[in-house]
Formats: sequence, C-alpha cells, structure tokens
Amino acid sequence: TLRLVGTTTAVLRKNAGAPGPEKYTEAFIKKQIEEFNLGKRHLANMMGEDPETFTQEDIDRAIAYLFPSGLFDKQARPLMKHPTEVFPEQRKIQWGEDGRPFHFLFYTGKQSYYSLMHETYEKLLNVQKHQDQLIAQDLPLQKEKRNLASSRWLTKIELEEMLLEKVSDDDYSRFIQLLEKLVTMPCADIEEKYIQKFSKEVPVQLQKVVIEPLQYDERGVAFSTGEGKRKTANATAVVYDNGTGKITVNGIDILHYFPVLQDREQLLFPFQFLGRIGKHDMVCTVSGGGRSAQAGAIRLASAKALRSFVTEKEVEFMRQAGLLTVDPRVKERKKPGQEGPRRKFTWKKR
Amino acid sequence: VCVPVTARALGDSPASLVPCRLMPVRWSRYNPSYLEPEVKTESYQKPLEELTEEEKEQMELKAVRPIKAAPPTISSSVFSDPMISKFINMMMKSGNKVLARSLMSQTLEAIKRKQLEKYHKAPENEKETIECNPYVIFHQALKNCQPIIGLSNITRGGKTYQVPVPLTDNRKRFLAMKWLITECRENKHRRTMMPEKLSQELLLAFNNEGPVVKKKHILHKMAEANRAYAHFRWW
Repeated sequence: TLRLVGTTTAVLRKNAGAPGPEKYTEAFIKKQIEEFNLGKRHLANMMGEDPETFTQEDIDRAIAYLFPSGLFDKQARPLMKHPTEVFPEQRKIQWGEDGRPFHFLFYTGKQSYYSLMHETYEKLLNVQKHQDQLIAQDLPLQKEKRNLASSRWLTKIELEEMLLEKVSDDDYSRFIQLLEKLVTMPCADIEEKYIQKFSKEVPVQLQKVVIEPLQYDERGVAFSTGEGKRKTANATAVVYDNGTGKITVNGIDILHYFPVLQDREQLLFPFQFLGRIGKHDMVCTVSGGGRSAQAGAIRLASAKALRSFVTEKEVEFMRQAGLLTVDPRVKERKKPGQEGPRRKFTWKKR
Repeated sequence: VCVPVTARALGDSPASLVPCRLMPVRWSRYNPSYLEPEVKTESYQKPLEELTEEEKEQMELKAVRPIKAAPPTISSSVFSDPMISKFINMMMKSGNKVLARSLMSQTLEAIKRKQLEKYHKAPENEKETIECNPYVIFHQALKNCQPIIGLSNITRGGKTYQVPVPLTDNRKRFLAMKWLITECRENKHRRTMMPEKLSQELLLAFNNEGPVVKKKHILHKMAEANRAYAHFRWW
C-alpha cells in the first residue's frame, strides 16, 4: 500500500479507534527536529546564504540543485522538510496503565467526532439560552449578518486531520448541518470564536482576468480577438467596431454556414445581451466538433472579444449570465462491461 | 449506485476532492460551488434600491462564486422561453432537435392562425376576449393541465395502495407536458400532422376542455377517493 506523505496514519488505517503501538516516540521526533534545524544551518552555510533567514523554499531549491533527479514522481525525489510534515501526526495512547481509557466516549469508537458534536450542541444550547434571556428582557436581538460568501466550512479531509480519526460522509454532513443551524441563529456572535475554528476564508478574487486593450488596424477601426472552446471545437473570433452586424465564419456567411436557427441565436447571444447587435462586425475561424459545439465555441470567443469594448460592470454581468465560462461538459467515456457510458448490456435470464 | 472510475475523468467534479475510486452516478462536471446563470437582461438593469434582502444576498454570493456556462438552448432574446425549451426537449426523438424545434414553431403558428380566424369572425364586443398570443396560450394551457396532487404506490403488508401525495413544481410541469405529448402521439388519425393535433389540444386545454384536462380531473378524483390512505405517507 502507498504511504502518502503529509496525511495522517489515522486516515489511512481502517479502524482508527484503536491506535497501534506508537511508531515514532516523542523523543524520536524531537531528535529529528533538532537534526533538521542543524542540517538547515549546514545547508545554508554550504550554499553561502545566511543561516538565520533560510526559508523552506530556499531549502527546496538547494536540494534540487545539489541532488538533481530525473524521476517523474515528485514524491520520489530527495526531500528535506520539517519532521512534522514528514512524520504524520498520530494519536497518543488513549488508555492508562490499568487499561482504563481516558476519554468518556472511548467505547463509541469515534470519540473525537462525538465529543465535537457534543461541544457544538452545547454551544447551540448556550446561544438559545442567551436568546431566551434577551427575549425575556424585551431587548432587541442582534442581527449582524455574517458574510456567507467569503467563508467556507472545513472539508471532510481537513476535519479528519483535525480530529485525527476517520469521519464518514454521513457524519460530516451532520456536523455541517449543526454548524449551519448554529450560524443562522440571531445571537450566534457569542460563539463566533468557536465557529471560526471550522471556517476558512475563500479568496474573493477568484481569477483576476486581464482584459486586453483594443487594437487598431490599418483603416483605424478598433478590433479585438477572443478564443473559445466547446467539446472538441476550437474557435477564434475578431470583433470589429463601427460595423453593420455582418458575421463571417471560415469565409462563409452565417446564414449559409449555420442553417439551424438555434446556432445563429447562440452566435448573436452576447451581442443581444449587451444591446450591440448592429454595431459590430465579426470574422471567425472554427474547426473541430459538431454543429452545436462550433456555435458554442464561437459564442465564447466573441464574448471574450467583446470584453475589451465594454465597461467592467457589463463584463461582470456577462460572467453572471454564463457567457464567459468554458463549458466543461464532454462526452463521457464508455466503461468496460457496459455498452455505452450509462447503458448496460441487455439482461438475459440465462 | 457506484461506478469504478479513474481519477482522470473527474476534472472539476466533486469527486476530485475525494481520493476514492468509487463514485456516485448522478454527478456533474461542475464543482458544487458553481451557481446557475441568470440570462434575462431585466434583472441586471434593476437599480440597487428595488432589491429585497434575499436578492441582495444572492447578488453578493454571485459576485464571489463561479457561474456555470449558459446552455445552448437558452439565450437572452425575447424568443427563448425556458418552458418552451423543456417542451421541445421532451418532444425530441433520437436527438433530432431540428425536427422538434420546427414542429414547435409550426404548432405556435397554427395556434396563431386559428386564433386570428376566430378574431376576425367574432363580433366587435367579443374581440377583446380572444387571446391571440400563442405563448400566453401555451403557458395557460400547461397551467390548466398541471395536477395539484399525485398518487404513489406504497406497499403495506403485501398489498399495494395508491396513496395521495403532494407534487413538486417540477413534477407537475413534467406530468402536464408528458400527458400532452402522449395524447398527441397516440390519439390521432394516421394522417394528421403533429403541429395540427398539438395546436388543437393546446386550445382545448386553454379553455379547460379536452382529454388532458379530463385526465387531470380523473387523477384528482382518484386522490380524493383514496383519502383514507393518506396517513401511509411518511415524507
């Protein structure tokens, strides 16, 4: 079995309730940390850098320089990291010398998970009590809205790492439901510190896409290019300003290239959304895919090209209308033992 | 139902976060954090003051989360209607969208022609009551065909009972469209074309007559008759 670096042994083992004999004693890990720090200083001296300000990135670069490796698997190459990242965290022995376990929920099998649920429910009851007190005193309930958009809950894997034991999908969803219930109560600000342990900040600016400035051709007409993909079709579009609304695909007019109305509707979609139907000319090239895929590819390419002509607010509107996202849907593969991606072979009784 | 699948096929799907080789079958290529796109231009032209609390929250959420790509069947033009797109998809056979769309447009044209004929023949005072917009007729007819309550089979002690059960909006719309299409495909003369028959049925449904509305009434009566078993439902 593969031993992945950076994960907990608790996650990999089947029954995590009973930790086996300790593989690494605390003294051993302490020694490893001392050796690592010493080695870091030696390495800094070897590379001629200052030992005090030698960061992990510098270590990685130095090791890659001193021990160049042609191996494809990044995890098989020479590695020098802090021992806490290399040796996975493991649980201490859960019972004393007389065999009696320390935690009162040990015999449930998932002691950390149940104790966590217990704590969270206690916080919920606290908040309810506080709410009832405020209502009894006729004081207004605080209604400060938590910013839902900028934070997310811990994923299942992160929770497993935090608790050092396996968490099933069901358990995880129950925990998240409890947290959501706690957060939606009006007086949840009291337990804000506890909730912050389980929420993470989501980077707000997902991808700050650089909008290219307009280019000008020999006649002085402004134009801009865009590229689009859909299934197997690739398209490039050049959108010119001061046009009459003529659209040419691979040298052919759209009425002849796309006889179906639905495809022409898709081509005009970005222009109609921005209200610029008769104002731009377009020349596109497209290859690959089928009739509908080519139309979708050109739609994406023209939407990307139109970004340069339009204000930032309208670009945001286009993104919320789904015009600027690449459609990730592709043909699903056929599986062995089945006739197609989903269709099974005809069931024969004998 | 789980299917063994290699990690490479996963891409943006939620399973790429789970390091296991077995995946639930109803998945989508989008990450679950992706939101549905909003295509109509009117919703973007509303000034900030008119929005309610929920809409403001939605707007803030949309500013942060990624959005799915708009499907090729809808566009922001006045001619694209989500209900009509759904109906066209249900009428489609073997992926022949071109044929399904042309049948739909012929149906709407036939409705318009019939209504205009009636309009021109009608006396002055009745002219305002005749509805000529085929889209309005389509929506009203669908609404008249939607059942409010449905029946579901529940087995207790060996016997299967038909228990009255509330239906979701999606299910109601699906049943109405399904009944219309099956009615038009089966109960017609061999030589009548689909648009003609469909336009006939839609006009009858618009006036709360016709076999589809009758079927809805029968379903309601059955549900009323089986009221005694309603307590069998546990959801």
